[in-house]
Amino acid sequence: MNLLSIITILIVGGLLTYVVSRMNKIVGAYMTIIISLATLAMVLFIKSQVGSTYSILYFSFKLTEVGWYFSFVLALTYAMSAFYNVYFTDKLLYPHTYSMLYLLSLGGSIGLFFARDFITFFVFWELVVWSSAFIIPLGKSRKASYIYYVISTMGSLATLYAILLIYKLTGSLVIREAFVLLDVSLGESILIFGLFILSGLTKIGIFPFHVWLPLAHGSAPHTFSPILSGGLVKLGAYVAYISVVIFPAYGAFSSTFMVLGIPLPIYLLMVLGAISIVIGTLMAIRQDDAKKLLAYSSVANGGYILIGILMKDQIAFAGGLLHLFAHAIASATAFLTIAAVAYRTGTTKMSELGGMIHRMPITYTVYLISIISMAGIPPMAGFVSKWLILQGLANQGLLFISLAAFFGSIGSFLYVFRPLSAVFLGQLAPKHENLKEAPPLMLIPMILLTCITLFVGIFPNTVLESITHIQREAGINMLELQQNAIVTLNGYLNAYHVFVVFAYGFVLALILYLLMPNSRRVGLMDTYTSAEFIYTPELLHYAHDFYAPFERLYGKHPSTLKLYERLSLKVQELGTFVDYAFMSHRPSLTVFWIMLFMSLIAMGGVVQ
Amino acid sequence: MTLMNFFNALIFVLFAFFMQTSITGVNRKIMARLQKRRGPRWYQQFLDIFKALSKSSISHGWVFQFGVVMAVGGIMATVMFIPIGDFRAFPGTDNIFIISYLLAVGMLGMAMSAAGSGNPWASIGVGRALTNMLAYDMPFMVVVVTMIFAFKTSSVGEIAEIQRNIGVLGWNIFRLPLGGIVGLICLQGMLGKKPFDSFIAPAEIASGPMVEYGGRQLGMLFILHELMTFIEVSLIVNLFFGGGATLLEYFIKYFIIYTFANLVSGISPRFKIDQAVTFYYKAPLLAALVQGFIVVFTGWGVTKWL
Repeated sequence: MNLLSIITILIVGGLLTYVVSRMNKIVGAYMTIIISLATLAMVLFIKSQVGSTYSILYFSFKLTEVGWYFSFVLALTYAMSAFYNVYFTDKLLYPHTYSMLYLLSLGGSIGLFFARDFITFFVFWELVVWSSAFIIPLGKSRKASYIYYVISTMGSLATLYAILLIYKLTGSLVIREAFVLLDVSLGESILIFGLFILSGLTKIGIFPFHVWLPLAHGSAPHTFSPILSGGLVKLGAYVAYISVVIFPAYGAFSSTFMVLGIPLPIYLLMVLGAISIVIGTLMAIRQDDAKKLLAYSSVANGGYILIGILMKDQIAFAGGLLHLFAHAIASATAFLTIAAVAYRTGTTKMSELGGMIHRMPITYTVYLISIISMAGIPPMAGFVSKWLILQGLANQGLLFISLAAFFGSIGSFLYVFRPLSAVFLGQLAPKHENLKEAPPLMLIPMILLTCITLFVGIFPNTVLESITHIQREAGINMLELQQNAIVTLNGYLNAYHVFVVFAYGFVLALILYLLMPNSRRVGLMDTYTSAEFIYTPELLHYAHDFYAPFERLYGKHPSTLKLYERLSLKVQELGTFVDYAFMSHRPSLTVFWIMLFMSLIAMGGVVQ
Repeated sequence: MTLMNFFNALIFVLFAFFMQTSITGVNRKIMARLQKRRGPRWYQQFLDIFKALSKSSISHGWVFQFGVVMAVGGIMATVMFIPIGDFRAFPGTDNIFIISYLLAVGMLGMAMSAAGSGNPWASIGVGRALTNMLAYDMPFMVVVVTMIFAFKTSSVGEIAEIQRNIGVLGWNIFRLPLGGIVGLICLQGMLGKKPFDSFIAPAEIASGPMVEYGGRQLGMLFILHELMTFIEVSLIVNLFFGGGATLLEYFIKYFIIYTFANLVSGISPRFKIDQAVTFYYKAPLLAALVQGFIVVFTGWGVTKWL
């Protein structure tokens, strides 16, 4: 049992699943569950083999701590989301292709996390990009896939160019050696750093490359949106990790202008991360589609992860890596609950839903816990990671970045509350009167992920231990962990105590509440309506323009997508002009060009 | 964590409740005098709460009730983290971020319960309350980050102690004057006092989140409100006015600050919610950032002080 067998099983299993799916698509969907669960188990198993290297054909791999951590997060999201495949085979046009690509993209990601040389890295990177680019159009829209592919390709080509440049300068393709061998001027190192990290920025959805996320997440098949947000976006974080930690960016840029101890190029990237947080938050607040809302929240959370990793310090770096885990779990859970609602009702538009809590109480509870984690409220995993990032930022005195981090944090209360209120609470529409709770196979992953979120929130050190190993591997000061507690330069957090105190407060409140006289149950329509007579539940459901006064403040903002569209229009115009001028069969134009060239030649002759 | 801690914490929550509710009662009297009325007796607030708790009530489903319990539970837990002088119910838990985020549990619980009632007025109120929070928290948190950077600790109790050790002139309201003023302006928003009370506007949206409550739920929400006020005013006392070495000192500072906020509220009109956001994002945010830059780049008020 080693790394190679995992990758082989995934790729061969993927192809096999295709064949089986052609015969029976339900069996194929069950195969994705079994193979991805087996992958998760094997990833847990190979933890003890860290440090060993493998090679097969032209590919070479090295089992590193950081690669293991990323693979674990991805394998977990894939394994949990796979349970949903069974229910959505009927809704897909090509279920057999979907099942195959599902496993191939997991194989690609695991291969890329353990890649020892750049060629392996790039090949597996492209495997992921291509397989996900073909999964996305199986959902609602093809345009989303084009935009995803174009933006991914921009990043991939830049990275490929950086790889070629590194090879030319050092003659080595082994990732950990080549970056160390690099001995170049400041300008060249900035060029290599910028090009290499570009694919990471496009993948994680940092401004101005964030446009693909809402489109792709919003229109991908319901079973794949959790993977996109919880898993594939995190590939970008891995690229950022390579560019900052393995490429000695802090050392190479030490001669540039320093902003509070951070080199200017890295600081500028952090500012991009901060802009992503603000834009992601503002846009998430005004969405009506629950999946698009969560997608914009992924943009915002990608900003946190990027900032954390770029800090490369004792505190915020650990926070960034923990946030990667916490957000992957929380976001995947939230997407899964929305998928469950969509499976029962057929829509993800918040204004068409409402009152689901009365029909799907377990789904509601799962969503509640996932958003508590996403908003960074104790006692969930998301709180610990945000706490670490904020402590790290405060320690450095980075005011603008902290401001964005707080904005994203408080703003997340606003946007996560919207689906809670509009989808699950409020009035139940009569057409949804006969809905049932999500099927049992959907409840399994939801409940498991919820337990993980809660467990990591109470005992964060279980995950932080792996992160300290990564810090040791990267040569950074390790985060100081005591029993159940985290000690930083300027703070102390014992998540277990916080949980116990919270539980204590809750029990006290519950006792007080139960001592008082019981309440009488009344219907949802039995409310104070300012003396209006309303008998239509839909009219009493408040879901449209939830934050209208706030949205009005930034309603007329410039849009990045429109900018890109205008740019593509200009390129098209140029093409049309070239086509008209050189490729058309108009005799007049031919005569014109001949005359022009003739006269130019003649003039040239005169000048000579 | 021993059994004694839990006992202390319970006593502390009760103390916080009785202290704040009495002060609210006295302030009702002060408010009445401001408006040329006689006003109720100082213990009227207690009577109101106990009466509400004992009355019959209605429920709109389990989340309507669960949300109230979650809110009060979260807020009670937050109260247990507040330090007074050297007293901490649970040692080592008075981190500013824990307090401000645990406070959000209470808000989320209440918002959830209110939206669970199915009344649109409640949802409108919740939407406004969350927007209000997004407005006042930005300048306040910038000041908090500045303080953590300046004093190298994020423990509220330690920040208060550092100020006390220097004396009256060591209070952050004098050392970081811009930050102190911002803190007081933000307190007005945190407490939901005028001019930032549009989310509970009684005549406009029928009291917003509170519209459907009666009986024990309303009583619990009254308790919630008193405890939340205690947390918010305590934060300001500890962060900007040096906390209190003795309970009396703490009480005096607390009373003055709360009464001041109430008096400002008594003579102010009401902002619309988008006006509140633009208000906070102009002068207070700018002042907070200026204060931050002064501290980070020059050290005035922190390393260079008297």
